[in-house]
Amino acid sequence: MAYKHFEAIEKHAGLLGILIAIMVSLGGLAEITPLFVEAHTLKAPPGVHPYDPLRLMGKDVYVREGCYLCHSQMIRALRFETQRYGHFSTAAESVYDRPFQWGSKRTGPDLARVGGKYSDDWQRMHLMHPRQVVPQSNMPGYPWLAEKKLDAADIQARMRTLRRLGDPYSDAEIASAPAAVADKTELDALIAYLQGLGIKNEPTSMAASSDGGAP
Amino acid sequence: MSIGWSLWVMFLVTLNLGITFFLYLWGPRVKIPTLPDGTSGHVWAHGVLREGVRKLPRWWVLFSGAMFAAGFTYLALFPGFGSFKGMLGWTSHGELARNVAANEATLAPLIERFRLYPVEQLTNDPAARQMGKVLFEDNCAACHQRSAKGNVALGAPDLTDNDWLYGGSGKDITTSIHDGRSGVMPPWASLGADNVKNLAQYVLSLSGSPHDEAKAAAGKPLFATCAACHGADGKGNQALGAPNLTDHIWLHGGSVAEIEKTIGEGRQGHMPAWSPRLTDDQIHTVAAYVYHLSHDADASSQ
Repeated sequence: MAYKHFEAIEKHAGLLGILIAIMVSLGGLAEITPLFVEAHTLKAPPGVHPYDPLRLMGKDVYVREGCYLCHSQMIRALRFETQRYGHFSTAAESVYDRPFQWGSKRTGPDLARVGGKYSDDWQRMHLMHPRQVVPQSNMPGYPWLAEKKLDAADIQARMRTLRRLGDPYSDAEIASAPAAVADKTELDALIAYLQGLGIKNEPTSMAASSDGGAP
Repeated sequence: MSIGWSLWVMFLVTLNLGITFFLYLWGPRVKIPTLPDGTSGHVWAHGVLREGVRKLPRWWVLFSGAMFAAGFTYLALFPGFGSFKGMLGWTSHGELARNVAANEATLAPLIERFRLYPVEQLTNDPAARQMGKVLFEDNCAACHQRSAKGNVALGAPDLTDNDWLYGGSGKDITTSIHDGRSGVMPPWASLGADNVKNLAQYVLSLSGSPHDEAKAAAGKPLFATCAACHGADGKGNQALGAPNLTDHIWLHGGSVAEIEKTIGEGRQGHMPAWSPRLTDDQIHTVAAYVYHLSHDADASSQ
């Protein structure tokens, strides 16, 4: 390599651009591609099941209302997080989350293991009028969720689509789905979803979660 | 990480560092053809701007050298070069485990001391109260409020008034926290709207609250049903968590409308179990704090 080669790069903007693109993509190729490919080989750990119909609808309400904009669902492997929220999250725990709700913004607390921490009544009051239970809260209320009945028309289509993506729903589960969400409000669904977060799916030990869960 | 991906990462890291490190070593040494006027011959803006040839500034060379040294050192010490674990053997889970162990070691003498005393005595330990307060605000305050005055709208009891649904001994409080509590008052709307109204007046009369005498008298015979849990005298039953109706403390509100709603629709207040979310030692500490709330004269001012 001599100066004339370097000069060629310097004097041709197109070549310079292409070589810059190659160099800056190396980091991404090393960090993103292995995780991207290996993510598809992740298996659900014991205790992690696909969402039942009501919780599935609740998850969609959660996404629609943008809860993820203020609440993360990923407990990092840091003491001050595990002490407050419980065992750190692992990748395998969210295999049935499409899209995943890890988030990167916490205006409110992390919700990865909030299931069962409060009563259903608390969740209901808190979603309707947050300051009735937490005076210093700055969360908005979501009173319209209580008035809107779930639309059960497409729940079966949703479950079939998820099954195609690999969620092990049985025919019986799909057949009984409309009955499970009948006459329920969006608030009921969201509470069911929240109350199921993290229940009984805590990794049993750190060693067991070392595959794919290593941040 | 499979061997294939490990080699892939190693290849990319080597390629990236190899190219940049080569340029770093080669750049200052390369022979640049220079015109007599000291420029490289590269021109811009139709010859107005000409590119001079200068040595790289020393600060830049030193700074870049330091960055390379930091990068190579990092790859040697920490995970990053494929599946090579680094000479320090560092992992984020390992660091977490060390931090947790260090924290537990710091707290161990305190926890050992807390275990020695029952809740009624531990409540006098300022360290236990302080730790209990932090746990209370993190976990219990959502329902009972930071002031521990409770929340009538939710039916979360006031913990500062020394009036207890399930008993106020240290053991009772610990059990309430450990296993949670579920209220089981059934709805009595089936008695008919008038009877519910009459019963509400009778319930008000039990505590000497302002009430309608005639309706209360009409409601009195019906109270036999309620007496199964609340007792014939309405003083409640801590074994069932049935509230005392003869005081002026109202779990779900003491207005006529609220009492009628309570009787008509029933109440199923629910406190979640805090085990295993909190460890037994943590529950013991919170119980000491809760006990202190209703037994110290200065507790309510905190």
